[in-house]
Amino acid sequence: MMSTKAFTLVSAVERELLVGDKEQGHIECVECCGKNLYVGTSDCIVYHFLLEERAQPAGTATFSATKQLHRHLGFRKPVSELRAASALNRLLVLCDNSITLVNMMSLEPVPSGARIKGAVALALNENPVSGDPFCVEVCIISVKRRTIQVFLVYEDRVQIVREVSTPEQPLAVAVDGHFLCLALTTQYIILNYNTGVAQDLFPYCSDEKRPIVKRIGRQEFLLAGPGGLGMFATVAGISQRAPVHWSENVIGAAICFPYVIALDNEFITVHSMLDQQQKQTLPFKEGHILQDFEDRKRRSFCCLLRTGDGLLQEHLQTGAELKASEPERNLLCSSSFVDCLHRVSQVKRGQWVMGLATGQVNSRGCKEMIEVTPRPGRIRVGGRVIVATSKGVYILVPLPLEKQIQDLLASRRVEEALVLAKGARRNIPKEKFQVMYRRILQQAGFIQFAQLQFLEAKELFRSGQLDVRELISLYPFLLPTSSSFTRSHPPLHEYADLNQLTQGDQEKMAKCKRFLMSYLNEVRSTEVANGYKEDIDTALLKLYAEADHDSLLDLLVTENSCLLTDSAAWLEKHKKYFALGLLYHYNNQDAAAVQLWVNIVNGDIHDSTRSDLYEYVVDFLTYSLDQELVWKYADWVLQKSEEVGVQVFTRRPLDEQQNSFNPDSIITCLKKYPKALVKYLEHLVIDRRLQKEEYHTHLALLYLDEVLQQRPGANSKGAEATETQAKLRHLLQKSDLYRVHFLIDRVRGADLPMESAILHGKLEEHEEALRILVHELQDFSAAEDYCLWRSEGRDPPYRQRLFHTLLAMYLQPGPSVPELAVAATDLLNHHAAEFDAAHVLQLLPGTWSVQLLRPFLTGAVRDSVHARRTTQVALGLAKSENLIYKYDKMKLKGSSVRLSDKKLCQMCQNPFREPVFVRYPNGGLVHTHCAAGRHTNPSPPGPGART
Amino acid sequence: MRKPDGKIVLLGDMNVGKTSLLQRYMERRFPDTVSTVGGAFYLKQWRSYNISIWDTAGREQFHGLGSMYCRGATAVILIYDVNHPQSLLELEDRFLGLTDTASTDCLFAIVGNKVDLVEEPAAEDQRKDGRGPGVAGRGGGAPKAPRQVQPEDAAALYRKILKYKMLDEKDVPAAEQMCFETSAKTGHNVDLLFETLFDLVVPVISRQRAQGPPQTVDITSYKTPGQTPSGCCA
Ligand SMILES: Nc1nc2c(ncn2[C@@H]2O[C@H](COP(=O)(O)OP(=O)(O)OP(=O)(O)O)[C@@H](O)[C@H]2O)c(=O)[nH]1
Ligand SMILES: [Mg+2]
Repeated sequence: MMSTKAFTLVSAVERELLVGDKEQGHIECVECCGKNLYVGTSDCIVYHFLLEERAQPAGTATFSATKQLHRHLGFRKPVSELRAASALNRLLVLCDNSITLVNMMSLEPVPSGARIKGAVALALNENPVSGDPFCVEVCIISVKRRTIQVFLVYEDRVQIVREVSTPEQPLAVAVDGHFLCLALTTQYIILNYNTGVAQDLFPYCSDEKRPIVKRIGRQEFLLAGPGGLGMFATVAGISQRAPVHWSENVIGAAICFPYVIALDNEFITVHSMLDQQQKQTLPFKEGHILQDFEDRKRRSFCCLLRTGDGLLQEHLQTGAELKASEPERNLLCSSSFVDCLHRVSQVKRGQWVMGLATGQVNSRGCKEMIEVTPRPGRIRVGGRVIVATSKGVYILVPLPLEKQIQDLLASRRVEEALVLAKGARRNIPKEKFQVMYRRILQQAGFIQFAQLQFLEAKELFRSGQLDVRELISLYPFLLPTSSSFTRSHPPLHEYADLNQLTQGDQEKMAKCKRFLMSYLNEVRSTEVANGYKEDIDTALLKLYAEADHDSLLDLLVTENSCLLTDSAAWLEKHKKYFALGLLYHYNNQDAAAVQLWVNIVNGDIHDSTRSDLYEYVVDFLTYSLDQELVWKYADWVLQKSEEVGVQVFTRRPLDEQQNSFNPDSIITCLKKYPKALVKYLEHLVIDRRLQKEEYHTHLALLYLDEVLQQRPGANSKGAEATETQAKLRHLLQKSDLYRVHFLIDRVRGADLPMESAILHGKLEEHEEALRILVHELQDFSAAEDYCLWRSEGRDPPYRQRLFHTLLAMYLQPGPSVPELAVAATDLLNHHAAEFDAAHVLQLLPGTWSVQLLRPFLTGAVRDSVHARRTTQVALGLAKSENLIYKYDKMKLKGSSVRLSDKKLCQMCQNPFREPVFVRYPNGGLVHTHCAAGRHTNPSPPGPGART
Repeated sequence: MRKPDGKIVLLGDMNVGKTSLLQRYMERRFPDTVSTVGGAFYLKQWRSYNISIWDTAGREQFHGLGSMYCRGATAVILIYDVNHPQSLLELEDRFLGLTDTASTDCLFAIVGNKVDLVEEPAAEDQRKDGRGPGVAGRGGGAPKAPRQVQPEDAAALYRKILKYKMLDEKDVPAAEQMCFETSAKTGHNVDLLFETLFDLVVPVISRQRAQGPPQTVDITSYKTPGQTPSGCCA
């Protein structure tokens, strides 16, 4: 078990102070109340000392005791117990089975001679039941067998309030409220003296061991248990804390939060109530008294004082250290207040009216103290732990909790330090505690961090709300030079930097860096980062760059707060030029960014982050809004690759292709780059379908030039030639915008029959076009396609005419070419529908066999038969329709209509004045003029109908 | 320190493995233990409740503390060692009496620990003619041995306890649910044990909360719901 230094032992009263000449007297009991220290001896003397505490720079204190006076009580018996009742200014002295009341200052017995007789032991009720602040409750073990008595002790009288008998002889007693905690002969019990209900705690053997019963706080006691246990028990008979383990022969115990202190013949041991561990052992021989005076809480009072101009309220504490609640209102010194209380006369419970001697409270112009009311709150009076041998009195001075915690942290005992710190929560004001606790968490975090316990460290940093920069500052050069950060003072850890912490161990160093990376990455988007986003992101950038981490780019392309100058220098140092470009871009310095990337592509500087950096730059420029920049680098990208480079124009978002990116400026720029120009014109003509003659003609010309250029070595670049040619033909066919004549001129004599044919076609010169196709090229399927192409969207006669022209060309009189005949039959057989069969038959040479034209003829005959039949059907249908109408007419004419005055027009509801009328097929009669106004069957006229 | 809402107490003879079971559950490990002095406790957060779990000392010397530890307990876990029949008998003779101070609706669980030391008459053992593999166990290097305590013995004790507490078997969890065989060494059934108990304890706690402070057993006013006290204890 590692030890903690929780207390130091300092001497308070040396033996010489206890009347040197009378040697047989030794210390029997002590009492401490504020600065007053009382010692009772075996030869019946009570000493009164004044304790003066002197703080030492090291944090501990020394004490000097000056003797005030001593008094022999006049018995032959030792003084066995002393208890101060400061509110009454009385000291209770147990001697010779009798409790005497003496004045705390003079040690004179009260004149009334009030005393409690027949007491073996006593206990003061620190949690008194009565609300009366001017009495104390005292509990005694009576000389009567198996009897406990409860008294109220006033300043000069005593009053018994209760006598209870116990199942066995009591040996020790402590009291809290109505609850007595008793050590009986064979067991400990809790006894409610109000209700008489007893609760067994646990058995023990009083023959073997002296029992210990000690109140340690509200409704809780500490008891000596079997096997050297210090057992905790509440008034409900329950243990709420695990026991502490003492030695078997403990004779006294005391509490000084969060410690339990125990005394045996050789040692003082200190256990923590928080984790039950033994924390400290101090050698201390022949000690026989151990007592704490910490929990002496005094009641506080509220006084109403009448001042010259009204009422003034003051909160006061009783006791020797009497003060107004606010230091500057130190109205009353202790003696004057105690004197005031002398004049108190009780009016009703809890309220006193008192006269006040003039001059005592007049510093604020008070005239009168009207009312003193006890407050429910109690005020802790700074206490101490005292140990004594028979010869001397010593004080166990607790080290300040903070110091203890720091000591624990210094020896890397994080767990214990945190437990202690948490345990101190209730002893330290909230704000102060929070500040302290946070700091401890942070320190603990750094301890874990230094041990590379990163998970734990992170949790501690988080809960301790660590300023991340504390952590970053451990890593050399990570904080931006502009950062205003300075480490907290006193420092949270002992390390100058990571080098010192890892002692140069590269592996550890790398681990630490990885941790920081993940930690910063986690916190950068949380509120932890508020206020120092720059510092965090810059540090993160540096870490990523140094570690060649992929996230560097992610960081730079998303929202970040990396500081430009610092980051730029760092990236440059680590040759992260691509990333540096991103950084420039993020900081709106696109020109610098592009220049940098261009340099990389050109090989002037080296950074292999992206193998496709050229494409990246093209892409970047494509979407760049900075037109100047795009123009500046247009030549560069085009020189690198015309096809790719031109994308900065072609892929540019449309809305941007206005202004300086208008087609004409671009075309001018692209003059030097024919391939790029073609791509660009294709973009305009094909993708964007710009209906502008220049572009179409220009593109066609460019295609043509290329085709012509490729001509001489046609064999070597065959495939490509066809490709361009195909594009050219396609354009010539599809576009109606280019200048046909201009092109025909260019094509003429260039030996481009197909193109010529297309161009003639455009001019509706079908004969010429077909002639080229049929006679020059002898490409019959092309001729067929031509007919289809040119007749697209035209009416059937036009189409027929075209086909007939072609057919005529095939059947032209002249030297018979067998291919043409075949072409003619194929044409007829494939496109039977496009021909007027009767007309064709006249054209065909009589020598042709029917078999040859069977498909055509069959089709033609079928068509003709079909046409005839459908016509007959139509005729039949028309006839029958006519018949139906005839029948209807007959029916209507068949019956007569009688017109009388009573018949009204169904439209206007007026009678018919003339014999002329209109009769609707459903029999309705209306005026002729009404019928003219409305050409529908008359419906019963609605509200809106005309009359 | 947060005040616990309910209390579970572990009782049983020394060396049966109380501390080991608790450490296995709370710290997920099986460390060397020393015989417990006095007692120790853990706080376990279960749902919204804080449950304190008390590890007691099995040594005779500390026997007297048991009643206090059990006072107001919501559940008591009685632990024996399946390899020591005596430890089961002790539960009835010495430890059951300590639970008189527990809450009236206290739950009981009976746990036979150290099953890892039992040589099971499984296929493996039949092959080997019933001879154990002879692997030294950790608790004092004990080799595997045939089973000493049958699960039925524990169930019988459970029923005896119900009788002793004058509880109707229908009102409390069945023996099958409340008798466990565990091994702190391997972790066998340890989570099951504690978590079954937590789940049973939670409704009891909320009921007690609704009724006010937990009652302690008061023999004079002791009543089981639906039953009038019989004269058997007179
Ligand atoms: N093989 C085996 N050994 C166990 C098991 N549980 C505990 N032990 C061993 O048994 C011994 C006693 O275990 P503890 O947990 O200290 O027993 P305990 O009940 O707490 O004993 P006391 O504190 O004296 O009451 C130790 O040596 C453990 O290692 C188990 O499940 N299997
Ligand atoms: Mg144990």
